[in-house]
Amino acid sequence: MTAPRPPLKGRKLGDRRVVVERPHSDFFRYAGPGTMVAKAAASAPRTSIGRRVARVRSFFFGKPLANEQEIGERLSKKLALPIFSSDAISSSAYATDEILKVLILVGTSALFFSIWVAAAIALMLTIVAFSYRQVCRAYPSGGGAYVVARENLGARIGLIAAAALMVDYVMTVAVSSASALANLATAFPAIEPYKVALGALVIVLVTAANLRGIRESGNIFAFPTYLFVFMALLAIVVGLVNVATGSAHTLPPPDHVIHDEGQLLTIFLLLKAFAGGSVALTGVEAIANGVPSFKPPESKNAANTLITMALLLGAIFIGLTFVGMHYGVMATDDKGATVLGQVGAAVFGGGALGTALFLTLQISAAMILFLACNTSFNAFPRLSAILAQDGYMPRQFAFRGDRLAFSWGIIVLAAVAIGMLALFKADTHALIPLYSVGVFICFTLSQTGMVVHWRKERSSGWAWRSVVNGFGAILTGVVFLVVATEKFTDGAWMVLLFIPLLIGMMLFVSHQYVSSARALEMRAGAAVPQPHRHNRVIIPTPGVNRAVIQALNVARSITTDIRAVYISDDPEGTEVIRERWAQAVPDVPLVVVESPYRALIAPLVAYLDVLDRSWTDDKEAPITFVVIPEYVARSWWERMLYNQAAKQLRATLVGRPHTVVITVPYRRDEARAQAEVTGIKPAGTIVAEENVRP
Amino acid sequence: MPEANPPVFRRAVIALSGGAVDGTIVRLAIEMARPSHAELVAVHVVELDWTQPLDADVAERSEEAQRVLDAAEGIAEAMHAKLESVLVQARDLGAAIVDEAAARDADLLILGLSYRTKFGGDFAIGRAVPYALKNAPCAVWVVREPMGEEPQ
Repeated sequence: MTAPRPPLKGRKLGDRRVVVERPHSDFFRYAGPGTMVAKAAASAPRTSIGRRVARVRSFFFGKPLANEQEIGERLSKKLALPIFSSDAISSSAYATDEILKVLILVGTSALFFSIWVAAAIALMLTIVAFSYRQVCRAYPSGGGAYVVARENLGARIGLIAAAALMVDYVMTVAVSSASALANLATAFPAIEPYKVALGALVIVLVTAANLRGIRESGNIFAFPTYLFVFMALLAIVVGLVNVATGSAHTLPPPDHVIHDEGQLLTIFLLLKAFAGGSVALTGVEAIANGVPSFKPPESKNAANTLITMALLLGAIFIGLTFVGMHYGVMATDDKGATVLGQVGAAVFGGGALGTALFLTLQISAAMILFLACNTSFNAFPRLSAILAQDGYMPRQFAFRGDRLAFSWGIIVLAAVAIGMLALFKADTHALIPLYSVGVFICFTLSQTGMVVHWRKERSSGWAWRSVVNGFGAILTGVVFLVVATEKFTDGAWMVLLFIPLLIGMMLFVSHQYVSSARALEMRAGAAVPQPHRHNRVIIPTPGVNRAVIQALNVARSITTDIRAVYISDDPEGTEVIRERWAQAVPDVPLVVVESPYRALIAPLVAYLDVLDRSWTDDKEAPITFVVIPEYVARSWWERMLYNQAAKQLRATLVGRPHTVVITVPYRRDEARAQAEVTGIKPAGTIVAEENVRP
Repeated sequence: MPEANPPVFRRAVIALSGGAVDGTIVRLAIEMARPSHAELVAVHVVELDWTQPLDADVAERSEEAQRVLDAAEGIAEAMHAKLESVLVQARDLGAAIVDEAAARDADLLILGLSYRTKFGGDFAIGRAVPYALKNAPCAVWVVREPMGEEPQ
């Protein structure tokens, strides 16, 4: 309590008032009866080192944001589109290539089928987007396929969707950074030996941007996405005008073209082309995962953004395929020009403006490919936070960092992606087979879940909606089977192995949390038992000094069963200590344990064991409080000089059954100052290491 | 004729009663203070009767009293404004508010007033507002809450 100030005189005779101190107001604010809210000052570091670290963190990641600022961090549709769509939209830059690479095996005549394959993929995109639009509305808390599967197909199936998605998000980061570096290495071969280090650096930079918060990372990454969308649509529009006016001429075959192998055009080959082009759908689910990131009304904004994204993706994908078909673009190997590049060069033509537009298109494509990983940095942490809330991931994943981002999810994603990059030496060819396998598992489960959802809900239009989702489930299921079969030996087997491993890990975490919760559970309304066990205090004593006496005074407030233990390796000095102890505290017994092997900690622990064994079995074991006197160091170098044995003892005893470790700090400066002013010894502050009550 | 520009003041004392009108007057004061960067001091007075000494440990331990000022600080923080808060114990509410305004050399005192009626239906203005209007050395604004908001 602080003393009130002396009364102040008023303007009239007899008027008095007292200004009352408000000691809490610097750090807390009362929000309701018995409820205080901590202000920023309460969370600020107190030490000079802590303040310096906070300044550095603030420089790199921005100032900490309060919970109530979360609404300000929400995304508008304009900002959410690039954040959640960079992965999906970027895949339109190479999806047509994947179709042509399969069809060319038959011959150039089969390239005509590319538009029909693309149309089928666009149909699947429509169904998947339609389904996820419903997911956004039905499950506004986010979580996408995981939540849909959990709610409608059961928790275990939900975990399959979650694990598949998580693997895919990691792969998106690894693949997008590896492919961006591969593109860079084509232009600058000197970076080839440093691809892993550069990839790691790139991921670290994206991680840092995301740790600054979702809105700020959106501001950073919005421009490249919109630039790519604009340039790709411009190329398509110019191309369509050329096609309509008859000025679209067939291009000569590019360098590094893939030659036909004279294969027969079979259903399986068309399915393979379909599965290859379906890579365009990766990332479509990200918006449904992050519905709570949108500004209110969250569900409506997310659903509308999803539709905008699907329209843009579909338009660019179909448009590029259509224009490319009319220009007769061909699939090339990795050293040749992409479909986007060939179309861009053809439609923009030569000349200064044409070259500038072509270069802008290519640069924007490279940038969006690189930023595709940002979608994962938003979707993965949110998914892992939902899993953590459900008890399937460590709880830290649900905590928001200084900038309201799910920092643990972001950091773990970055670390695993860097690990994958290093493991596969940033080789795109080695990484790609692992990519886009998991996402089709989650598409299939999400669509199946929605069928069950409609059948349970029976709302207006449930029948046709469930038919559409059922068709989508079959379609995406087939794509999964084709993709998994095609890529199995190239590395997809690893994904199919990771997914059950991840599920096993999540189930293990869940089991741990459930069993610990069961152990800690209190029955509602059950009477809280009063303390009924015997308490005893042991004070490890280095000698007779003020710190020990202060610890002893704390011990007296706990129980009367107190004994001091002095571990001695010097029998001659022991008698002096014993005499001084008897003079200073005659009512507390001093037990001297001579230690001829000069050990300090082990004999004390052995003494505690002996005390435990000497307790009769018919009574419940007592609680032993080990009260450790500790001199508080004033600087970093003093910390090296003092308390080393106390630290060891504390570390040894923490976790020991029926034992509570208490540290009683003794502050020399405070003690001296107080003694000078009042002549009274200061009370010790208790720091309980473990709080076990009977 | 209404003034085109808001009135200018250097320092305003806002008397908070813990009622519904507190938020209104704090927001109003902050908006009015913005153009001239005027200082704002929120004062809440806990009245003590003669059974207790004036320096009794009452207001400091009263969550309710602290909450009145904390709420005002919260509004100021949300509006990115600076507000000093002062908790006072006194025998008479009106005198303490006026004395605090005078001691702080305030040129404006803002009071909120709940719409209450006495038994019989007459409007009850209380004691503090008339005291302030009569004795405050500075300008006094009284903001009365709308009639419909009378607590039932």
